[in-house]
Amino acid sequence: MSDQTIGVSVSRAVAPKASPRAQWLLANAVPRIVVGVAILLLWEFVVRALAPAYVAKPSTVVMAIPRVITDPAFLSATGQTLLAVAEGLAVALVIGTVIGLVMGRSAMLERAIRHYVNGFYAVPMVVVLPLFSLWFGYSSATRIATIIFAAVFSIIINVADGARAVPREYLEVARSFRSNRLSVLVGIVLPSATPYLLAGFRLAAGRALIGAVVAEFFLSVGGVGYYILYNSRIYKHSEAFVGVLLLAAFGVGFELLVQWVTRRFMPWYRRGDKS
Amino acid sequence: MTNTYLRRHAPFWISILAGIAIWEIAGRSTSAAFMVPFSETLVRLWQLIRSGEFIGQFLDSAQLFLTGFVLALVIGAPLGLLLARVRFLRIGIEPYIMILYATPMVALIPFILSMMGFGFAPKVLVVFLFAVFPVLYNTVEGARSIKPELIEVAKSYRSSERALWAEVMLPYTLPYIMTGVRQSIGRALVGMIAAEFFLSSTGLGQLIMTASQNFDTGGVFASVFVIGLIGVGLMRVGLKIEQHFAHWRQ
Repeated sequence: MSDQTIGVSVSRAVAPKASPRAQWLLANAVPRIVVGVAILLLWEFVVRALAPAYVAKPSTVVMAIPRVITDPAFLSATGQTLLAVAEGLAVALVIGTVIGLVMGRSAMLERAIRHYVNGFYAVPMVVVLPLFSLWFGYSSATRIATIIFAAVFSIIINVADGARAVPREYLEVARSFRSNRLSVLVGIVLPSATPYLLAGFRLAAGRALIGAVVAEFFLSVGGVGYYILYNSRIYKHSEAFVGVLLLAAFGVGFELLVQWVTRRFMPWYRRGDKS
Repeated sequence: MTNTYLRRHAPFWISILAGIAIWEIAGRSTSAAFMVPFSETLVRLWQLIRSGEFIGQFLDSAQLFLTGFVLALVIGAPLGLLLARVRFLRIGIEPYIMILYATPMVALIPFILSMMGFGFAPKVLVVFLFAVFPVLYNTVEGARSIKPELIEVAKSYRSSERALWAEVMLPYTLPYIMTGVRQSIGRALVGMIAAEFFLSSTGLGQLIMTASQNFDTGGVFASVFVIGLIGVGLMRVGLKIEQHFAHWRQ
């Protein structure tokens, strides 16, 4: 505001400092918006020029959004998928944390099951679907099982890493106060492995989402994945693409949530991903 | 020598043997439609190998995997490096790469199916889409971690653009690219099986599907077992590659 009374050269030096927020916006938001708009325009015109009319393009997808999100079929599909992912993740979280804690603190158990955990983690999860459908039938039980299978091993691996990395002094203090093994695990190892647990959970959430969609494709069980499959089969690509947007929002949402929780509650913690 | 080898690897072999024993017992005590013991799985696998069916499908899958993966690598890594040099583009495109990295790519399979049909190309596209974003994401991440001073020093010594790439950019981002390579090996494998399941059925995916449709539980177990082993092997290779380049990072 006082720029005019001070000399021009001074105001140039002062202005950016006065509003770092505006500067940040200019440096980041502008390129993001420009690139985003460019991508959307490119997509729109390429599809218009080259592809048949049913292929999804930004304009038709945007027009489909209000129709789709008020469609009861879509809402119930969203609910089913979300519920299945939440249930599967909850089970995987409990099992994974317990096994991971014990595995990280017991050398015996670690040696016994490490190869299996790493091995199952490396198995592409799609491959278990025919097997699981043999065991649990073409039902939502198979979907839950697939989600758990997709999610549990990354939690085990990360929690075990965390349990192994507990500072030795903590354990020695606990031992000199004669605390028993269980309270050491719950009271010391678990809290100190929480950042690892979160990192594992973040990975697990992404994998669980993939597991749910793949299972719905394979089993034709109702959910967002099946909604996408069905609508794209009857050439309603724009409607189906709204489902993809929803899945992307889930994926990014989980990512941001875990990042935020880590920053908010464990600001001292920085760690590379283990995936 | 043999003694230390034994001491070091005995727990591994004991746990593997125990696992096989549990599998065998569980298989024998349940119905054959439900689970097949380890021994029968091996017998069925041997039949599949001898009939030549397995080798053919394996080569089919390998071709799909390699085509998609190599495409992802030769497009993802240079694109990531290019983004690193063009600041405006990098800042602009980064959030979108992050979004695509977190989006389950399987969801695009139905679109690819109805637009491109049943050939080889749509399946390669699926593997490519699964594999490209880890490479791209990690390359950009690595390029972002280059200290600006390094580039400034290189510039103040009037280093050419080519030398800048060869001496600064590439060595600094390579370890990150390799992290991307490891992640995308795993994802490409998932993409390969997903493409073989949901697009035209070929390769190892077809082997499983046919077995499962024929209620040939032994066949399902044999092919899942082999794909599991391939997954473990590829994961090992990925880790080795990553570790080999990791010491550059310091």
